Amino acid sequence: MKRQIAYFLVVFIGFLTLLGHFINYSPLNNFIDNDATQWFDIISGFAAFLGVINLLQLHLNKVTNKRANWEYSIVTLAGFTLMIIFGFIYNGSEVAMGPHLKEKGSAFYWMFENIYLPLGATMFALLAFFVASASYRAFKIRNFEATLLLISGIFLMIGRVPIGQLIPWWMALEIYICLIFAIIANRFKERKVMLYSLVIAMTTIPFLISFFNLSHLAIFKIPDLQEWIMAVPATAGSRAIMIGIALGTIAQSYRIITGRERSILGD
Amino acid sequence: MNKYIKYVFIPGFIFLFYFFFPFPIFLPGNETTFVCIIFLCFVIEYFIEKAKSGEKIYMRPIAAIKAMEEAVGRATEMGKPVLYIPGISSLDQIDTISGLTILGHVAGMTAEYEASLHVPVCVPIVMETAKETCKEAYLKKGRPDLYRNDMVHYVTDDQFAYAAGVNGIMLREKPAAVFFQGKFYAESLILAETGNSIGAIQIAGTGSSSQIPFFVTACDYTLIGEEFYAASAYLSGSPEMLGSIKGQDYVKVACIILIVIVFISSILNGYGYTHFDISSLFRINVIK
Repeated sequence: MKRQIAYFLVVFIGFLTLLGHFINYSPLNNFIDNDATQWFDIISGFAAFLGVINLLQLHLNKVTNKRANWEYSIVTLAGFTLMIIFGFIYNGSEVAMGPHLKEKGSAFYWMFENIYLPLGATMFALLAFFVASASYRAFKIRNFEATLLLISGIFLMIGRVPIGQLIPWWMALEIYICLIFAIIANRFKERKVMLYSLVIAMTTIPFLISFFNLSHLAIFKIPDLQEWIMAVPATAGSRAIMIGIALGTIAQSYRIITGRERSILGD
Repeated sequence: MNKYIKYVFIPGFIFLFYFFFPFPIFLPGNETTFVCIIFLCFVIEYFIEKAKSGEKIYMRPIAAIKAMEEAVGRATEMGKPVLYIPGISSLDQIDTISGLTILGHVAGMTAEYEASLHVPVCVPIVMETAKETCKEAYLKKGRPDLYRNDMVHYVTDDQFAYAAGVNGIMLREKPAAVFFQGKFYAESLILAETGNSIGAIQIAGTGSSSQIPFFVTACDYTLIGEEFYAASAYLSGSPEMLGSIKGQDYVKVACIILIVIVFISSILNGYGYTHFDISSLFRINVIK
């Protein structure tokens, strides 16, 4: 019975919310835009207490039973207690309790400004190092796709910095020639042949481009090339994923609203 | 005949009612959305019925979903825990709900294999739902004795504090399998790279398109786009659910055909062979 009520509520509120997006009836629109979200906020607010209780229970148990890594739990509990004291008991400034949370002289504000914010910024800054290590792994040449990723990554990086603007068309052309030879290198049986071919290509092709007056083409300007990579292949890929996500969202919502997807309720 | 009434007449009637009803009971501006939703729902319903009638449905194998059981099995063999991270958003995000539905299946696997499951949560209301999901999954597998109350626990509401907390858990407990299933933001790479550094099998799934590249780089398997939403249905294995995925795939085919038509029409329009911009049909509020 308990579960049936939960299913009924999911189906009923789901359909109501869906209808609220299409039907022009102000009480219904008001319900889904304001009331329903407020109800959700109220329930979430109560759940916050459960979260706090869970946190305290877990760490107190760890400390009292001296389970593995219980020392860290002391730090968590100390931080929790300290912020509770500075938030509810000790003010440290001349303004009243409540507004003191945003008052510069208060103990709570000091903790927020000097401990909480720098710690958050530190974690965020770690991202830079993780991006570097992840990029290294992604750019490692293992197959054709990884090579393509590496090449487009290099063009994007060069094209987005000021020095990219200064690269002349013939240098961009030489880079392309080298890249093409890097890709077809294993097709040459003798190294000498490959070297001669590379030298001939690097010396003659720029003259041919210049002779036919093709140096103005966007492909020879790295900033323009990176713009094209971002605007065409990258956008096409991300839009394909977005369409898939939209379809998946609708299908998943349909399964939940019609009561078919019940895993969330343990079925 | 019955099928024609259900899948041709009823949607046709809904569209006629929506577009030609004389009184303004429908909100203007949502026409394209309405048509797409009704079309998708009826196609899904059609394939669900087809699957229920016993027709065999082929599902293309998704490596990440197949690897889930392997990852739990590996964790069991190594005697290490399974870490499940349901993202940092609340229950108002479909990604979180999808993450929790997958959690139900993963919890079932850990109950079956007797592996230890650890679910640190960022939002209290998600914690309560995750607890219920795990409890039910363990009960369903006949192993309520293995369920522990501290299996699902609250860490913090703050994004980077949560990332720091989960990283700490990863480095201390060294889980053999890490699941990232839910809504993620900038913390995705911090978590995934830490998981990578401890050598865990990592399976990610998210609807945040901006985080997918990070997961693809740092994780062993990634559920991309609609695969993430289909994972729970796929894992359930019930014909009803598989039928819905099939229906979703057919709508995707319809989308591809539409894109090709718009592409050809735009070329013809560009060269002056036609004078009708078909793409305008797909912009909202143009049908009326």
